[in-house]
Amino acid sequence: MRRVALVGAGMTPFGEHFALGIKELLPMAVSEMASSVDKGLERSAIEAAWIGELSTTDGFPSGILADSCGLLDIPITRIENACATGQDALRNAVLAVASGHVDVALVVGADKVRETSTGSTFWEWMGYTRDMAWDYPLGLIAPANFALHVRRYLHEAPATREHLAMIAVKNHKHAATNPKAHLRNEISVEQVLAAPIVAEPFGVYDCTPQSDGAAALLVAGEEAAGRFTDRPVWVRGFGLGLDRVMHQHKPDMTSFPATVKAARAAYAMAGIGPDDIDVAEVHDCFTGVELMSYEDLGFAPRFSGHLLVERGDHYVGGSLPVNPSGGLKAKGHPPGATGVAQCVELFEQLRGEAANQVDGARLGLAHNVGGPTAVAAVTILGAEPG
Amino acid sequence: MITAIGSYLPPWHGAGRSRAAGPDEDAVTLAVAAGRVALRAAAEAGQPRGPGQPRGPGQPRGARHDGTAPGPGHVSVAPVPVERVVLVSRDLPLLEGGNAAVLLAGLDLPPGIEVVERLGGAPAALDALLGAPGATLVIGSDVRDGAGAAAAMTGTRGGTATPLARLHRSLPLRVRTDDGEVHEDRDPRLARERGVRASLQGAGLPGKPAALPGLHQREAAPFCEGDPPDLPTVGASAALFALAALAERRASGLVAAVEQATVVAAGWEPTGTAVGREEPPARDLPARRSTPGAPMRIALTAYDRAFDAKVRWQAGRCPACGSLSFPPRYRCAACGSEEVCALEPLPRTGSVYTATTVHLEVPGLASPYSLALVDLDGVALRALVHVTDTPPGTVDVGDRGRLVLRRVATRNGVPDYGYAFSPEQVG
Repeated sequence: MRRVALVGAGMTPFGEHFALGIKELLPMAVSEMASSVDKGLERSAIEAAWIGELSTTDGFPSGILADSCGLLDIPITRIENACATGQDALRNAVLAVASGHVDVALVVGADKVRETSTGSTFWEWMGYTRDMAWDYPLGLIAPANFALHVRRYLHEAPATREHLAMIAVKNHKHAATNPKAHLRNEISVEQVLAAPIVAEPFGVYDCTPQSDGAAALLVAGEEAAGRFTDRPVWVRGFGLGLDRVMHQHKPDMTSFPATVKAARAAYAMAGIGPDDIDVAEVHDCFTGVELMSYEDLGFAPRFSGHLLVERGDHYVGGSLPVNPSGGLKAKGHPPGATGVAQCVELFEQLRGEAANQVDGARLGLAHNVGGPTAVAAVTILGAEPG
Repeated sequence: MITAIGSYLPPWHGAGRSRAAGPDEDAVTLAVAAGRVALRAAAEAGQPRGPGQPRGPGQPRGARHDGTAPGPGHVSVAPVPVERVVLVSRDLPLLEGGNAAVLLAGLDLPPGIEVVERLGGAPAALDALLGAPGATLVIGSDVRDGAGAAAAMTGTRGGTATPLARLHRSLPLRVRTDDGEVHEDRDPRLARERGVRASLQGAGLPGKPAALPGLHQREAAPFCEGDPPDLPTVGASAALFALAALAERRASGLVAAVEQATVVAAGWEPTGTAVGREEPPARDLPARRSTPGAPMRIALTAYDRAFDAKVRWQAGRCPACGSLSFPPRYRCAACGSEEVCALEPLPRTGSVYTATTVHLEVPGLASPYSLALVDLDGVALRALVHVTDTPPGTVDVGDRGRLVLRRVATRNGVPDYGYAFSPEQVG
């Protein structure tokens, strides 16, 4: 298969876009992406598109993308794969380009989490993703879903709630200087620990906000990339991992095996290891998930992710900056858009244009884990084709 | 003859000295809890008493008799044969189709035996027991105005209840409309004089009752010989609580069950009736917030497929490799066999692997609520369940407890039964 590059990237700000529907957010993100293409983008150059959307709010997603962005003459496919949705949309587009079937593909991710009739994040969606007889009636909502993992992790590892709080503080600090971020206020460890509890051990500040937004990437084969830019960002590796759906069947809740599998595949494809990563966008829907993921991604040995936190390695300026965008925690988390937006951040980092630039970043990693912690995606991007 | 009586009280304070049902309890789950105690007491009564079965000091009032998997120090006993179950309550879930399937599943009884659901209070429960042939489990269950349940198992040994009098008079001081709304005429003197006194006189009892189930002790005392027992309920279960109380006193006597202006009376000679009680100490029911919103969805196809494993608490055993699956799987996760697996009982005790307490408001549920992932004893299986019988947020990793039948949720009006983790009460 041929090498594949990202040649354009853009996103809407994440936040409460009450006045904007998916029909507005999609064209906004696509136009933002188009404006980042160094040599310009004619819409007619796009040969196929993938849209990642978790819970559609304006109706039939692929049709809405075609209709709202002037893309009526190309095939468009909707991807839904829980919190891995955005990265899986990218993965499918990359496969199509790598195979040579198309030269230029569009990837868009979008969601409107604040557009719900229940007031509870993803509650309607949960009715379709939890076992209808066994788990759904228990109220295994997203925070509880992850809290069961993190509670056990805190039981076995030396980490404490303070370490979780320090991750929230770090991601808020990064978001404060990212104009696209949802929560741009700095917070303190004391504030995090004193906040109302959502699902133990998570307080309000340990949780992602309910965000709306969209993000877009332009994918091109290595021969076509030069039509759009002389500074492409290369897709070096990707992996998608699955795990057992029900918590009852996960023998060790202190790790996300889906992440381990996805990371293994992505590192192998890129021919690199975790030590080679310069900057990472790690899934932090809840603070403890970022902490656990340090270990699943190979950034820290088992049960020692908290040491990375204590040393401050995960700040921009540290040895392994994690979530320079602010992460899901503070940049925001419209799931369909999230994985795409992580790659928008890495695109900018690897071209030296990021709001919170990591000096000399050459290899970046994006990670999502989601659904009933049964799916994960890892994407590795590089400044060089490898 | 009445071989055994079992009782259950929920661990929550109600008004005065009464108990309140937990938010996940109803007449059926209360009945199952009491019924299981009665069945175990009846089974133990039929066994020679051995050193492994301490009764009295080793297993005081409130000791728990439960579990298909015997806990430490428990000797398994052969179950007593049950040919029919009679459930008497004023608080029955009014399901078209009845509550029999859930009741039998919760009691570990086969789905083919006769079940009678009878609407009524203490007189109806006593009447049901007096008319019951052998091998019948009669359960009284009350949710409102003092929650609790008691069950009596009839057989070829134990005490004897003899019918003495029955009188139906109408004094509808309290009625409930089709939609469940209660209309009550609060006139205690009318209730006492034209209800209890007139009916007791009209029934022509041979003497003063020793117990007057259906009334609070204070109201009952003036009509009774000596001190009537202080019963925790005033509904259907009260009649059986009265028999249990007199059995523990080893006192024979007249028991008159009353409700409004109806009375049913029996002579009670309790010698040989075993009594088991599951009556844990009570505490204040924690405040919880219910969140309005769209009702919780239910797919009755999924309900139907899960029912036996979920309500009978059973796992599938792979016929090819013998490994257990819970919930049962079509394809064995261990060996890949797709042979039909047989269901078998799961252990009902375990310890917490991990837990969380949700404080967020969730539509259709009451918050806060605790969830636990429980390692079941003796098998390589876990269960994800609600935590019950304890205030939310008090369960921790490693805590031990048992699995009890509860109404896990009400989904689009359908009571959804399953099991919840009841932690061992420490101290």
